Amino acid sequence: MSEELRLSSRETRGKAGLRRFGMVIDLRRCIGCDACMVACKAEYDVPLGVFRTWVPTRVVGKYPTVKKQFLPRLCNHCDDPPCVRACPVGATFKVEDGGFVLQHYDRCIGCKACMASCPYNARFMLPEHRTRSSITSVVDKCTFCYHRVIQNLVPACVQTCVGRARIFGDMNDPKSEVSRLVARHSTQVLRPEQGTKPQVFYIGADRNMSEYGRGVYDASEALDDERAVFNRNYKN
Amino acid sequence: MLDFTVFHTIAWPSAYSVYFFVIGISVAMFFFSTLSWYREEFQPLRQSGLYLSFALLVFGGLLLISDLSQPARFLNMLNPAYLKFDSPLAWGSLNLASFGLVSALYILMIRSGNGTNGKRLAVVGALIGLGLPIYTGFDLTVHQHRPVWNTPLMPILFVALSLLSGAAVASFLARGNEKLMAMLRSFMLWSGGATAAMLVSLLGTTAYGGTGAEITFMFMTSGTMGLIFIGLGMVLGLIVPIGLLLAPVGRQPVGMMAAGALLLVGGMALRYAILIGPQIVHTYY
Repeated sequence: MSEELRLSSRETRGKAGLRRFGMVIDLRRCIGCDACMVACKAEYDVPLGVFRTWVPTRVVGKYPTVKKQFLPRLCNHCDDPPCVRACPVGATFKVEDGGFVLQHYDRCIGCKACMASCPYNARFMLPEHRTRSSITSVVDKCTFCYHRVIQNLVPACVQTCVGRARIFGDMNDPKSEVSRLVARHSTQVLRPEQGTKPQVFYIGADRNMSEYGRGVYDASEALDDERAVFNRNYKN
Repeated sequence: MLDFTVFHTIAWPSAYSVYFFVIGISVAMFFFSTLSWYREEFQPLRQSGLYLSFALLVFGGLLLISDLSQPARFLNMLNPAYLKFDSPLAWGSLNLASFGLVSALYILMIRSGNGTNGKRLAVVGALIGLGLPIYTGFDLTVHQHRPVWNTPLMPILFVALSLLSGAAVASFLARGNEKLMAMLRSFMLWSGGATAAMLVSLLGTTAYGGTGAEITFMFMTSGTMGLIFIGLGMVLGLIVPIGLLLAPVGRQPVGMMAAGALLLVGGMALRYAILIGPQIVHTYY
């Protein structure tokens, strides 16, 4: 006996007539070239020290059997986003048709509740001074390139990915490439236990990269040094 | 080596812990002022407690506004067209504004000698004020992915901390009044005991949580954060003053004030550690 899927008021999974954009990141194809990070920086003039998308790298194994792992990260455009719930003034909102989680920059008060509530660290504070943009001192994040997608283009990071590791499309359309990939492959999402229903799916993600590791407690000297430099140069 | 990660900043900086501290004392002082209508011992705190409560409320409010990256937009929090009641912050802003309003009216009544309305406003204000430590705890509790924060204990812990710090401040305003000091000693002991019990329970459940919780426990109990949380917060700021209060010297004004000073140090340290500690692990991912 099958049970009907019950959704929260924000979720659009399987809702007729509504698109739900998602991304599949096939880690078997990612070569860690960071072109996605560069394309994103160029598309939005993302300031130094913060990222809308970033690619953490880790070398695992013991010489000579070592390998490099990548886990491209970005806003997961959750179907049930905690940041939307946390924002007291409606500055963070979800677009019903498409599922984009976006920002009203002119409404954001900078309380950082959305940053505190995001399990994916996808949000950051824009600096006070920017050269080519008047949007400053508000919270920002990946938009899934909303401005491109509504013109039937794919996000900049997807467009630029040389290995075609990033695939973008409508998860509510069973014929889309992303739907077929998710249906045919074993996929992982980050922090599934949080119930946020992320719309970024990984193929071949290693738990070493996707879960909290004990390594940060007894961090290597190099990590601590990098951390100190970051703390010195980046102020909220 | 050769690992590359992007570091992230903590979302809520230490200014919030100062806000938690002053707003907790503000609410407790208002509560003691309200108690003065029902218990004679608290009579000396009716006016001094109220004025201090209001001053701290104004300071806390300004601190909160100045910490926004867009301080001029704080009015958005009171704009019905923008306000979204899914967020505990929205309730908090209304709670803060209404507490401020009732406090101001209560001051006016006291100054004009209108005792009947003053008493009514005191009761209403105390009830509204109770919402402030509850909402500050709730603000943290709702973040489901944060170890330590995401526990139903948080709002109750903040109420206990509020009474604890408030009683500590009040011991300096009591000016040696024996009856009042005895009452404040009881407040400090009971709320201190409740705080200690909750912290032990919190540490236990955090240590036995998942990896994220376990690492958070390690961060909070070792290094500088351990010194602040365990050293200043729990030992010097909670266990030592409770011991002092239980000793014969703790029944004398000087002993109580010494305990009060330590409790204030501990109250600030605990709020700081509880706010910052659980955010550390997240900055690495």
